[in-house]
Amino acid sequence: MTMLNEVLAELIGMFLADARLTAAILAVVALSAILIRFGGIDPLISGGVLLGSCLAVLVENVRHSGRRRHSP
Amino acid sequence: MLSWSVAAPAVIAAFFASLVEVIEAFTIVLAVGTLRGWRPAAFGTATGLAVLAAAVLGFGPLLDRVPIQLLQLVIGILLLLFGMGWLRKAALRGAGVIPLRDENAIFATESAHLGEEVRHRRASLDWIAGITAFKAVVLEGLEVVFIVIAVGAGRGLLVPASLGALAACGLVLIVGAIVHRPLSRVPENILKFGVGVMLSAFGVFWTGEGLGVAWPGHDMALIAFAALFLAAGLLASALARRQNAGAAP
Repeated sequence: MTMLNEVLAELIGMFLADARLTAAILAVVALSAILIRFGGIDPLISGGVLLGSCLAVLVENVRHSGRRRHSP
Repeated sequence: MLSWSVAAPAVIAAFFASLVEVIEAFTIVLAVGTLRGWRPAAFGTATGLAVLAAAVLGFGPLLDRVPIQLLQLVIGILLLLFGMGWLRKAALRGAGVIPLRDENAIFATESAHLGEEVRHRRASLDWIAGITAFKAVVLEGLEVVFIVIAVGAGRGLLVPASLGALAACGLVLIVGAIVHRPLSRVPENILKFGVGVMLSAFGVFWTGEGLGVAWPGHDMALIAFAALFLAAGLLASALARRQNAGAAP
């Protein structure tokens, strides 16, 4: 049972290592899907939104994590 | 006929990602082998590899039944979560915000932990050693299995991606057998950073295709995405390093 728990924890940790990053990525994907499905926007523009937002999320998350480690 | 330009990104990503994971598993298997001999280490490793192979053979054929666009979307999102997680961690390690992984320290800790386990449980020494090696191979191997499926399944590149992962296993085994100590001189964080870049690029590519985006340049778009993630990762790491330096006493 311990072994199974460790495997499950490893699987969850693979994708949900940082809750803030996970939430931001899922929100970005949802936004891109909504733009294509309901916004009537060219899929390529939504693809650009997906790419640009992921890059911004990465930079912001690393900065935030660095700041959090130094806050008193 | 499969062209190298199509298969190369999947093979390279699988090779380097597997290299990182196999080095981590090797450190623990080496600790087991050094403390208890190579029989339990080899038995645990072989059993772990058999479990992973069974998982691939069991789940692999099921993927053929999933519509390709749904498969691309799901795998793309998982790759984004996994790849950007690696890239984030590598950027923070590069900035000195979190410590680098030290294979020598892990080897020493694992050896001490194994000795402690044996003293407390009084169970068969070989059994405990074998289970330790088995766990290391399965837990690190799960990530290899995911990466191979993720970079290979969306384009029918499972075999080339598997060959990339197997090449990494072979390389670590050969080098490990020669040097017979933890592979602590491998620049693991740089490898992790590079793999995070590649997996994040794959993640955006598959997620977009799953949503119906026709990327200009098709597979060549991956190179542009990787360049952008590399630049963003370096920028993020530099900003975090500056914060880190500013906060130091």
